[in-house]
Amino acid sequence: MSKLSRPPQGESLGLTNCPTCKFLCHLEQGNCPRCGQAVQSRDRTSVQKSWALLITAAILLFPANLYPITIMTSQGQVRQDTIFSGINHLVHLDLLPIAIILFTASILVPMLKIFGLALYLTAISYRLPISKRTLMAGFHIIEWIGRWSMLDLFVISITAALINMGQIWDAKPAPAATAFALVILLTQLAAKVLDTRLLWDRLESKDDTN
Amino acid sequence: MKTEVLDKSIVLCRACDLVVRKRALPTGVRALCPRCHTNLYDTPYCSINGMLALCITALVLYFPANFFPVLEMHFLGSIRTTTIAGGAMAVASQGYWVVGIAVLVAAVIAPGLLILSILTQVLIVKYRLKVPFFRNIYKKLLKQHSLLAQLSMLEIYMISIFVSVFQLSDYTDLYFGIGTFCFTMLFIMVIFMQREYDIEHMWSVLDE
Repeated sequence: MSKLSRPPQGESLGLTNCPTCKFLCHLEQGNCPRCGQAVQSRDRTSVQKSWALLITAAILLFPANLYPITIMTSQGQVRQDTIFSGINHLVHLDLLPIAIILFTASILVPMLKIFGLALYLTAISYRLPISKRTLMAGFHIIEWIGRWSMLDLFVISITAALINMGQIWDAKPAPAATAFALVILLTQLAAKVLDTRLLWDRLESKDDTN
Repeated sequence: MKTEVLDKSIVLCRACDLVVRKRALPTGVRALCPRCHTNLYDTPYCSINGMLALCITALVLYFPANFFPVLEMHFLGSIRTTTIAGGAMAVASQGYWVVGIAVLVAAVIAPGLLILSILTQVLIVKYRLKVPFFRNIYKKLLKQHSLLAQLSMLEIYMISIFVSVFQLSDYTDLYFGIGTFCFTMLFIMVIFMQREYDIEHMWSVLDE
């Protein structure tokens, strides 16, 4: 296979996978014989859709990190925590492992995800000289790890339900929670909607060894 | 004629559209795309009766896991408990309904629908695959499967319970409820269920 200048793509043989059930279809058939879904070789609008979702998520990342995500009341004293100050607080309480878990899930993963997807989309749109293998490996990681950001929201919901005693002790979510939930949702969608085959079409072998 | 031969023996990579010649694989081995390392296919090890057993167990565990409290807090003599849905409702009632719905969908609704969907699929494959009406239902369920699998996040909720326990244990006494046990068992059942479940294999049942 390495002797071919261009490895065989399904598109050049007139074949494609059904987008829903992955059945091998002929392009001229129009509809998948197994599940009836319309068949097309590439989803060319997927880059735009993905960009749109990603940019929205990137904008929402600011309120998610700058506004408080929880409001804690303890004996009449109200403190508002942003994601970062909450984690900082945990470090001071000597709960370092928990702080690391929360830092990874709610700061590192969303940011790396947005940065990684942006890089990926730029590579498709502007043919960046980055190895496709690296991009693809990164994409697999992004797809897999993205859901873990829900951790923070689950913790908030458990805490808010348990700690609910008015002035003595109280925990409530704050505005950043909604923004944060939307960041997770939108980045997951942006990764899901993207047709990764476009990357391998556009960056031809001159950029990369196969 | 030539493409007919091609169809049987090749497979296209889902992520990069590379044409790969199919080979027989020993059990438990996955074929990866040589170019982008995406999972291509593996040998089906899905035993339909095993799946049925896992589904029924998961369904039985689902109800206590959701109706019994997952955490109990003892604070100044008062006992507070929360269920999974209770947490989501608490957040939603503060006005954060986006968060509430996200939690409810990810931890209660999607896992429930996923179990029900797989149970229905297994029952149809076992008993009613020849009937066109059930065949259609089967196709519809398979089309929704990847969405449901993506949305259910039991494992993350599991970790969240432990994170909350560690966070709060400095201030107060926390106890696991019977719901925690059921939830853990449910989580293990669903892990096994998703490991055994192979969407490609379920689709290929329709070809026969």
